[in-house]
Amino acid sequence: MPHSQSSWPFERPEQLTDLLREQGATPEECADLLPAVRRLSEWQAPQPSPADTRHLLARLVPELPALSPVRQAIREHQQRTSVAFLLATARAQVSLFGLGFWLVSALVTLVGAVVVLSKVLPDQELVLRLSGPLLAYLGTIVAFRGRGARVLELELVCLPSPLQLAIARLVIVLGYDVSLCLALALVLWAGGTRDVLVLTLSWLMPLLLVAGLALLLSLRLSVQAAASLAYVSWLALGIVSPPQALLFAPELLVLPGCIGLVLLTIALLRLHTGMHRLLPYA
Amino acid sequence: MQEKSDEQLMTAVMVGDQVALAALVTRHHSPLLGYLYRLVGGDQQLAEDLVQETLLHVLRQRTYQADRPFKPWLYRIATNLARDYFKSAAVRKLWREGDEEEAMLHLYDSEPSPEERALAAEQDSEVRAALTQLGEEYRVVLVLRFYQGFSLQEIAETLRIPLGTVKSRLSVGVHRLRAILTPVQKGVD
Repeated sequence: MPHSQSSWPFERPEQLTDLLREQGATPEECADLLPAVRRLSEWQAPQPSPADTRHLLARLVPELPALSPVRQAIREHQQRTSVAFLLATARAQVSLFGLGFWLVSALVTLVGAVVVLSKVLPDQELVLRLSGPLLAYLGTIVAFRGRGARVLELELVCLPSPLQLAIARLVIVLGYDVSLCLALALVLWAGGTRDVLVLTLSWLMPLLLVAGLALLLSLRLSVQAAASLAYVSWLALGIVSPPQALLFAPELLVLPGCIGLVLLTIALLRLHTGMHRLLPYA
Repeated sequence: MQEKSDEQLMTAVMVGDQVALAALVTRHHSPLLGYLYRLVGGDQQLAEDLVQETLLHVLRQRTYQADRPFKPWLYRIATNLARDYFKSAAVRKLWREGDEEEAMLHLYDSEPSPEERALAAEQDSEVRAALTQLGEEYRVVLVLRFYQGFSLQEIAETLRIPLGTVKSRLSVGVHRLRAILTPVQKGVD
């Protein structure tokens, strides 16, 4: 079996000097060591012939894993970037939300805008503070209604994890709510309202708070009870004066939203770690 | 068309892509044979067996993670197999009875082919003997560095040792190599 000899990887002597320097040798040491290192090239290794490589491949091919189109499709699916995967999952989840959800949410926002623009109430912010979280209530009930029907076992056999499904649904609900928020801001601005930003935030921030609270409570209560409790709690806060003064101070306008995002994060983490508790008969 | 990386090929191999396997083996067969040949002291048959065993491990283990560099992983398997071989009972017995060099010499003298006899007579045998005299830990880093052209980082990843250890082993190894080869050089001169 004739073999040719493999080549020495360093064509120029300077390359060897560079290698010695890189490993910490001083210039004097380099000069001293270089002849010995250069002599390494004298020991050539055999090189396999193409026939040797073919022979080796023939031995290896039977060890290849069986080509499974299903496994390959799943692997390709998993290799997609997390954002693309999340958006693809969210797109698939859109059908969960019926026409009623989209229309009622838009209607609630529109009613809020009309009430503010008509100035029938002295406290315009209050109207928005109470109507915004109503969307969170609706969104939670619609997006997570399957929890009551015990679909978690079905979700567990799907490629996206229940956590990914929950995030995807939140992306839909909150994405739609933010779109409505932008539309509300546009309508208020077109109607000549002052403090558009403050009014819009008065609508969006409580929405986030109620959404976070509802999702967190839904880990212990039914989705209906959790969403109702979260919204009723917010309504109670909106009516009682002392917390109002604290929560709705202009400088703390974004505080409810921040708390809401923290609660959403905690809820998602708890959902992930406490999955077993949500299973039937757990 | 841009050539696929080792990592891309290995990912394809893991789902049974035969073309990717052929590309990967063609790319690494010769360097891997050279590495193992020098690591085992010039026993060509043993090196070829270890190459095959290494690639079989690659296919059977299925522990490869696509986000990790392929080459250090491949050479780590090869190095470990060579070490396991030398730790095996028959070889260990030889090591107990004599020194490492003797064991190595026995290994590649066990079935000497005419080619091997001719090779041993050539000049390279001095370098081979010098490398064989070095401890295994020094021989591995020297072979990876000067024959395989590995970077310091790649050697560290392959052997799972800190970068500083790689440098110190290289430094000690090269100094010992010079000490072994210098009298020979003077004799030749």
